[in-house]
Amino acid sequence: MPLARVTCIALLSLIVVQGCAFSRGTLGDEIRADAIASIKKGTSTKAEVLALLGAPDRLLQVNGRDVFQYYRYDAKAGSLLLIVINFSRMSVKSDDLFVILNREGVVEDVISSKRTDGMEFRFWPFGD
Amino acid sequence: MLPRLSRSCLIALVLALCIGSAGCNVIRIQLNTPLTQDDVAFIEPGKTVLTEVIAKLGVPDSITESYLGVVATYRFLDMKYSRVNFGWLVKPWSPVDPDLIISRTGFGVDAFELHCDPNWVVTHQSFLRQLSGPQFNPYPF
Repeated sequence: MPLARVTCIALLSLIVVQGCAFSRGTLGDEIRADAIASIKKGTSTKAEVLALLGAPDRLLQVNGRDVFQYYRYDAKAGSLLLIVINFSRMSVKSDDLFVILNREGVVEDVISSKRTDGMEFRFWPFGD
Repeated sequence: MLPRLSRSCLIALVLALCIGSAGCNVIRIQLNTPLTQDDVAFIEPGKTVLTEVIAKLGVPDSITESYLGVVATYRFLDMKYSRVNFGWLVKPWSPVDPDLIISRTGFGVDAFELHCDPNWVVTHQSFLRQLSGPQFNPYPF
């Protein structure tokens, strides 16, 4: 491609692309993977869970068991500001952890998922 | 090189597109990954247990107790907003900054709910609303 054409395209891009914006917001603290791994089913107690993760964001009673719920939200927004049209996209995902305790206060089950892994800044609003 | 007429047509087309999309905003906000009927087709009421669902869909956003067992809820949102400001068309000739805006927002809020018995076996499953998903369409009328 000739240098003049490349220069033209670069200049046009600079003129058309007014600006970009990247924003991020989080709610809650990161749920540490090592803390989750150190909770053992059948042996860890309520006190150990509280010492590792702190007080739960939500305390539920399900099937006669106590359930501690921890969550964290992560939001990433990208904007492409052109002269006549702006594109923006925001993705919000959560990491959740449920610790199910039996009547004796011992951990019966731990279920967690990290949806925020691989979440990217995107500005193109169309498609999936 | 394009012939002069073709180049003029191309410039006219680009200008028409620019004027047609004057002052446009296209915004999308997604909360979690929207689920579809295909995503939950593997769930067989009476057979599938909650741990199998969690293995495929991840942890639900909430678990609550009901009289007959447990309700697990996956929530998601797919919001689409588009806006056109026709005031841009007269900006170069106007001493003031005029606005003539039309816009429309579609909140695709939905949830997928699972009812489980006390042994965590899924007994019922359903989407809260059967949404087809909002479209980018700034025409509000």
